[in-house]
Amino acid sequence: MIGGKRKSVLTDEQLVEATLDGAKDAFGELVERYQERLLRFLLTRSNSRADAEDAIQDTFINAYRYLASFDSRWRFSTWIYRIAIRNAAKQHRPEWHDSEVELVDQLDPLAACIAYAEHENIWVAAKRLLSDDGYNAMWLCYVEGYSVKEIAAALGKSVSWTKVTLMRGRRRLGNELAAAPVAEKRGESYG
Amino acid sequence: MDEFEKSLQRDAESIRAEISPQLRARIDASLRGIEPLRPAGRTRAFTGKLWWASSLTGLAVAALVIVVLSRDRPHPHQQPGEAVAKMTVPPETDPLLSTPMLDIRTADFTSPLEEELVNLQTDIEKARESVEKDLHFAF
Repeated sequence: MIGGKRKSVLTDEQLVEATLDGAKDAFGELVERYQERLLRFLLTRSNSRADAEDAIQDTFINAYRYLASFDSRWRFSTWIYRIAIRNAAKQHRPEWHDSEVELVDQLDPLAACIAYAEHENIWVAAKRLLSDDGYNAMWLCYVEGYSVKEIAAALGKSVSWTKVTLMRGRRRLGNELAAAPVAEKRGESYG
Repeated sequence: MDEFEKSLQRDAESIRAEISPQLRARIDASLRGIEPLRPAGRTRAFTGKLWWASSLTGLAVAALVIVVLSRDRPHPHQQPGEAVAKMTVPPETDPLLSTPMLDIRTADFTSPLEEELVNLQTDIEKARESVEKDLHFAF
């Protein structure tokens, strides 16, 4: 059992060690730390919220079961994201080629989460414009702040591939952002 | 951090991802039902400290195997040497093994010996004749 003081001090890797030493609550602390971050990511990768919740449950189960295989040279966050990406890929690829309005109508988890907060969320455009790996790389880079090397490790790709993918993704989304004010003005005129 | 990166982060944060109590209960319940697989690295470290125990165990097992094999092996006093030879040496009457080898040896080795014998006999005869001549001149 890990007390509250220890919870706030230990690093992810120390919590992994504690879990392997038999402290099951240490893994509960890891779940607490990563559940929202992973669910946010999986909501953007799954067909429905139910699928995203299944994926996050499987992610924690797999991580807990195979915790002994965690390589301490990696960050724990990189490792668990790799598991989450794999679980998300097991599910059906979402239909992102429809318009944003149709996504809201289909109760897409991402669109449903942001429908009344943002009119032009860049991650909706990212799902439409980028490949799965490209989207994952952009998310890990700009949301999670991973280095290129860590992204390459999480995706199982080369560093060169990661650099090129990030550059292309940034260029495509940059163009989309540049066109966003026009869309906002059009939306306001219709509203 | 430029404006583009800020937009990406801001839009990501705008995605609502609250964990419901039901979902957390589901995760906790599923984790309670499993155990982590045994860490291989820790097992190696533990056994590394007990290297002497594993060595002794290995020696004991080796000794046991030797004893068992010695017990199963037939005793020399119980099995006569002829019986052992019968089990290992093929019979000489086997035509496939004996006949061709004998022919080859005869062809290779007897002819030079016969020539040598003829040469020796000739030398002996010459020596005898020489001795007779010497005796004739002497007496």
